[in-house]
Amino acid sequence: MGKHGLLNAPTGSGKTYALWFPIVLNHIKNNPDYKIKHKKGLKAIWITPLRALSQEIKQSAERITEDLETQMTVGIRTGDTSTKERAKQRTTMPDLLITTPESLQLLLSSKGYAKIFKDCSAIVVDEWHELLGTKRGIQMELGLSRLKTVCKNLRIWGISATIGNLEQAREVLLGPTSPALANSVLVKAKLNKKITVKSIIPKQMETFPWRGHLGLHLLDEVVPIIRNSKTTLLFTNTRSQCEIWFQKILEKYPEFAGEMAMHHGSINKDTRLWVEQAIRNESLKAVVCTSSLDLGVDFAPVETVVQIGGPKGVARFLQRAGRSGHRPGKESVIYFLPTHAMELIEASAMQKAVLNSAVEDRIPYLNSFDVLIQYLNTLAVSDGFFPEKIYPEIKQTFCYQAITEEQWQWLLNFLVMGSQSLKSYDEYKKVEVEEDGRFKVNSRTVAMRHRFQIGTIVGDASLSVRYQKGGYIGTIEESFISKLTSGDVFTFAGRNLEFIRIKGMSAQVRNSSKRSNKIPSWMGGRLSFSAKMSELLREELYTAELPLSKQGPEIKALAPMFAKQRQESIVPLPHQFLIETFKSNDGYHHIFYPFEGRAIHEGMSSLLAYRISLLTPITCSLAFNDYGFELLSDKEINIQDILDNNLFTANYMLSDLQKSLNSNEMARRKFRDIAVISGMVFTGYPEKGVKMKHLQSSSQLLFDVFKDFEDDNLLYQQAFTETFEHQLEEGRLRLALERIAQQDMVWKKCSQATPFSFPIITDRLREKLSNEKLADRIKRMTAKLTR
Amino acid sequence: MTQNIIIQDQAFQLHPLGGVFWVEKSLLLISDVHLGKVSHFRKFGAAIPQKAVHKNYMLLDQIVSELQPFQICFLGDLFHSSLNKEWELFENWVARTPAEIILVTGNHDIISPLKFEQLNIAIFPELLIDDFLLTHHPETRVAKFTFCGHIHPAVKLRGLGRQSLRLPCFFKTKNQMILPAFGEFTGTHTLKPTKKDEVFAIVEDTVVKV
Repeated sequence: MGKHGLLNAPTGSGKTYALWFPIVLNHIKNNPDYKIKHKKGLKAIWITPLRALSQEIKQSAERITEDLETQMTVGIRTGDTSTKERAKQRTTMPDLLITTPESLQLLLSSKGYAKIFKDCSAIVVDEWHELLGTKRGIQMELGLSRLKTVCKNLRIWGISATIGNLEQAREVLLGPTSPALANSVLVKAKLNKKITVKSIIPKQMETFPWRGHLGLHLLDEVVPIIRNSKTTLLFTNTRSQCEIWFQKILEKYPEFAGEMAMHHGSINKDTRLWVEQAIRNESLKAVVCTSSLDLGVDFAPVETVVQIGGPKGVARFLQRAGRSGHRPGKESVIYFLPTHAMELIEASAMQKAVLNSAVEDRIPYLNSFDVLIQYLNTLAVSDGFFPEKIYPEIKQTFCYQAITEEQWQWLLNFLVMGSQSLKSYDEYKKVEVEEDGRFKVNSRTVAMRHRFQIGTIVGDASLSVRYQKGGYIGTIEESFISKLTSGDVFTFAGRNLEFIRIKGMSAQVRNSSKRSNKIPSWMGGRLSFSAKMSELLREELYTAELPLSKQGPEIKALAPMFAKQRQESIVPLPHQFLIETFKSNDGYHHIFYPFEGRAIHEGMSSLLAYRISLLTPITCSLAFNDYGFELLSDKEINIQDILDNNLFTANYMLSDLQKSLNSNEMARRKFRDIAVISGMVFTGYPEKGVKMKHLQSSSQLLFDVFKDFEDDNLLYQQAFTETFEHQLEEGRLRLALERIAQQDMVWKKCSQATPFSFPIITDRLREKLSNEKLADRIKRMTAKLTR
Repeated sequence: MTQNIIIQDQAFQLHPLGGVFWVEKSLLLISDVHLGKVSHFRKFGAAIPQKAVHKNYMLLDQIVSELQPFQICFLGDLFHSSLNKEWELFENWVARTPAEIILVTGNHDIISPLKFEQLNIAIFPELLIDDFLLTHHPETRVAKFTFCGHIHPAVKLRGLGRQSLRLPCFFKTKNQMILPAFGEFTGTHTLKPTKKDEVFAIVEDTVVKV
């Protein structure tokens, strides 16, 4: 097979063999004397997004190479690979190399990399759907663009789970205008698997909470499910939720001790591997886990999956459902456990989604200059590069297909001068242009710093958690540890630990018999509904006003909540747009219900607040969830003004949004990642580390400086583009506004929070927006200053 | 708009750019300017806008022309790091500024004293003028009132509707005043005032007592 392509197959359907086999066979074909003679050197690369999966991929590759009696070697190169092993690889590469997108970039930053890849004839990008739509995906696009030139005869294959835009996924992988795309196929594995979704409906709806995200109320309902099946996976949405569930089940049902385990990304690798092995051996009854078990690793014995809390996406839900009944022809069973009342609607909508397999798209990035700057630096660090050679390569990628000559020249100036013009007193130094026109980094310090910083994931800084004698337990975010004082007890990895001190980049702890309710929380658990999901959700909600016979069991069960909602407000119909207002000690609450998902509400609330501020000076804080958003202010907003002035119009949306964002913080937050990826902020040497707090403040300062002095900087502008396109989903927002324009506005003045508004108004994570004179605000605040 | 206060029978003006003007002595106190920070970052490959370099000198010019001090005393961290080419801009500024300049050194001031001497800038580890102590690091001594910097103080204000706001400030305790960092690209550290403290926040172009 001389073709390139994309293989669409679910996790664990033998796809690893499907692509390793042809690679090895191809080698045999080209080297008829393969059994006696063996030419060393890299022949194929396998990219995996999760280094935890590399061991398993290696095993299956080795099975093939050995069965076919080749002398091919298989090696792994990831962040976990020892320096010794890496040095060994530098002299002799394994024939088949398993690596990550970051480690591939690191190879491109080593001197003479072209020689390493010269005879490489195949590259496989596994779990491509996970990379697509992230900056790691762009990194992969760039890596491939280089390898296409460096390798003499390269075939490119991707493997992807089912997503909405598979065709586009292939285009991004191979390059929209490339010959590779013209000579490629999309292979779909036909595996029609039956998936059954069952909602866990609380027996006592009256006492079921209106908000919350833990779902512990239904713990007792889960126990019979665990008892009745061989192995059950309980998926939680966050690591802290995972810890809590594990603790609580054991507390209430100690008989599960020894038969239950926990699996999440912060737990040390050996424990995770042990858990995975134990699942295969069928020695565990239940595993509480997070998305760490979403990918890779086949677990035949898993019979049942429980999803705790809304998974926020159909693709993810399907992926998790697919974890059970992993043998061909077996049915997958997934239970949906709602954590609060509104989530029952989500449960019902999810069933419909699964029936229609309404899977989301993964939207690839365009023109991410930060990643390109990092990549060009990488090339400058290794052998240097000639712009006229690299430009056509990157122009073939999906991400940079629309880059202009001017932008390219801007980037080159930025690399060399750190600006667009040369000043006499300036000492900027990074990439130099040599006499032959080669762009090259000559400073060892610059090169070393750059290598440390290759990568596109800017997480919160984490510390390792260790016993004093050195036993490693896992990693915890700095923000949590920094709140602890010596002697505090917290729960982590299922243990009660007493915090002793921070030493270097690790937190030292000892076991404690004291009980604690401090559980580390990890950021990043807040996902938004996709367009499809929110549409299904609305349709489900509207059935609340239909006759009982046309309602699903979830909606029926919610009857008491709907009744309560109707006391002062309504459950909206398809043609109605609901607005509720009331006053509390916190101020004046104004709540709007578009039911469009968190991301859209974020943009819409900011837009509306800005437009209101044009009518009257106002300061408000914004809160939003998947159902609606709130403007909370210390003054009452006249809703009639909003309706009379048609403030929900889609006209001038973009320019209004841009202005509202000026006083907003979204772009600033995006800029932090951009500053790190493009190398403007140094994240520090490993083990020493720059504290995240410092990183945050320096990138914030930087953002302000750009705003004041260089707002035409492409990287600064990128922060705004990303905010609009990826965070606020500008296109979707416009559609949502157009939909709302067709609806009747229903304004309900309430005396207190309703079941719909309660989860929103109690949200503490808020955006702020103001156009009042600072001094005026301060005068009012001074009176309330907490001393 | 400045805020006037009296400390131990002496008059002081708090300027919204972050300086304290001692009226009787015609002495302007400025802390934590961190000159050369932008150039320092650029030298190590962080492409901060070049134009930002000039902003601090413009702000210095502005405060000097408004207050017309006889003397200017920097309370440490005048330069962010080792010598770089921004020194030429500083020489330039010293030459055109019609005031005597003094430096009380801070932890960042690692440039050789000789370089300052060449510009006729006197350097002290600390200064005692009447009953007032000028230092970089906050400290309190019996029967003295201290002016110092180092902290880059800010204060967090809260209002109805879960509003909150962080502003750089002059932070005054009974025997000490911490000055805010002067100028661009410096960052702040939030302090929590107790009942005995007085806080003067910088709100755009005014200084407000909170």
